[in-house]
Amino acid sequence: MSAEAPSGEERETEERLERIRRTRLYGVLKGVSFVLILALLFREALKAAGLIQSGTEYNTPYFLRKLTDFIPLTTYQGVPFVDFGAYLSFIGERDLLFASDISLLWTDPPALISEVGAILIQDGFFALFGVAGITLAVGFAGTVLGFPLALLFGVLGSERVLPFPLNFVFRGTMSAIRAIPALVWILIYIPLAGVTPVSAVFAVATDTIGNLGRLFTDELEEIKEGPIEAMETTGASRPQTVTFGMLSQVTTPYIAWTLYIFEINVRIAVSLGVLGAGGLGSVVKTQIGLTYFDNAMATLLCIFLLIISVELFSQRIRSRLRSETEKMSLRELVFGFPRRFAESLMR
Amino acid sequence: MTDITVDGLVKTYGDVTALDDVSFEIPAGEFVIVLGVSGSGKSTLLRCLNGLTPPTDGEILVGDETATGPRRDMAMIFQQHNIIGQMSAYSNALTGTLGRTHFLGSLLQLQDREEKLMALEALETVGLLDEARQKARRMSGGQQQRVGIARALVQQPDVLLADEPVASLDPGSAQQVMGYLRTAAEERGLTTVTSLHQVNLARKFGQRFVGLRDGRKVFDGYRDELTMDTIDEIYGDIDTEGMLAETDIDGDDEETIDQPAAGGGPVA
Repeated sequence: MSAEAPSGEERETEERLERIRRTRLYGVLKGVSFVLILALLFREALKAAGLIQSGTEYNTPYFLRKLTDFIPLTTYQGVPFVDFGAYLSFIGERDLLFASDISLLWTDPPALISEVGAILIQDGFFALFGVAGITLAVGFAGTVLGFPLALLFGVLGSERVLPFPLNFVFRGTMSAIRAIPALVWILIYIPLAGVTPVSAVFAVATDTIGNLGRLFTDELEEIKEGPIEAMETTGASRPQTVTFGMLSQVTTPYIAWTLYIFEINVRIAVSLGVLGAGGLGSVVKTQIGLTYFDNAMATLLCIFLLIISVELFSQRIRSRLRSETEKMSLRELVFGFPRRFAESLMR
Repeated sequence: MTDITVDGLVKTYGDVTALDDVSFEIPAGEFVIVLGVSGSGKSTLLRCLNGLTPPTDGEILVGDETATGPRRDMAMIFQQHNIIGQMSAYSNALTGTLGRTHFLGSLLQLQDREEKLMALEALETVGLLDEARQKARRMSGGQQQRVGIARALVQQPDVLLADEPVASLDPGSAQQVMGYLRTAAEERGLTTVTSLHQVNLARKFGQRFVGLRDGRKVFDGYRDELTMDTIDEIYGDIDTEGMLAETDIDGDDEETIDQPAAGGGPVA
């Protein structure tokens, strides 16, 4: 604003500035009171959970001492050292990650190949990964089993596909399924197949219907009206309009969401294992029960490895699906792997 | 061959009158361009003709039937292309057959060989045969619009409707797309109604013109009747001289400027 501007105009800008300042002040006050309310609620929650009650006693030294039980120590030329050998021997002995003997790789490779072949033919692909294979299989089978119903419920739950009161039947069913966690679903399935991987697969599948179906429904809310109208104008029937006008808009996100739910389902398979339904989770539970904490730690490392592998695998496919650019060359795929591996870990 | 009769068409959205007593008749095979500024009711008129929007009052006859909803013998080309980005140009063109294919057949692309050839021929008509397998969303705006035209042609309609088919395209692609539209309509004897807001393009490609202003029909006539004064009436008090300046150049630079659109990235 120049100095010789008319005073009326100047006053107007000053008034405007004053108003902006006032609004900003209100904004700050609102923000501060929001934080205060949040802090108050947090304190209440801690109290309710017993964290800041006078009666709660923490046995920190004992806890820390017990933690070291997870780490077997050995000495190498007088220097204390984490005994990875103990972990590895337990992993190998119990076939936690690999059904055959990995040491054959450097002692007798042909024997390893024939043994792997025998396992593949006799017990199938998942058996090759030993105990981890069961966890993976539960997650995978549950996802595949749940997918068709998730798709059906998810699509029919959308108001765009079915008019309001009708779509609520499917939405409501999915909400009801989601309200019950997988850990409880398996309890419901126990009379059917006992505490076994079979029940775990059913529990994961049921959970998938609720969660994946909901993601499917939400995704359909985002689609554009244009292609739907375009399909209508071609004289398409209602199912054709839904398939070509709506679902074709969401195929990529649907695949991505399914992979994401697969990741989560493998994690659920671990926790169902802790309930006794087989796989790595069961081993953790047993070993802790036997107070063999070092063995439990070895199993936890396997879980870590399994989850990270599944996540990396799913993340790679998803970013490949979402990328608009041309597909990577084989060379880039192989030699660029360490960089991409590091990048996905940072994410 | 299908003629269109619009009689006393009124469309209101709440208090807003989008179309106010619009009437005209289009004989079979005519290429009609609807002119008007944004918000003059062009889109509403086309949507009513197609049956996507039910009219408040008045009657639309397509052939002998009242237009009540989308129908197989009437194809529509949209301003925003509305093709399916996930699918290839070929699959998009093939969706034009949906009206005469049963659900499973269309899902698994089990259309007859002739239908599939027709889809490729339509792509050839719009100059996209080499890009048939390309994903639609990777195509440029002009290419996407041409895929939309191919789809409409595969539908084998009697009536072709186009709502601002070139509004989101650069001038070169716009000329090209209008050219394809006109050629296809002539070859197949389609009754065509297209809305446009570029007067120069309208003059170049149109046969007959309907002018809308604030939902009322203010002009209805053939090319020689479309003078400066009538354009002034349709567009109101704006400088329309510039619009007409180019209209005497007839189809000379079409081939040289259509190339940039072909190789470019997708247009949002």
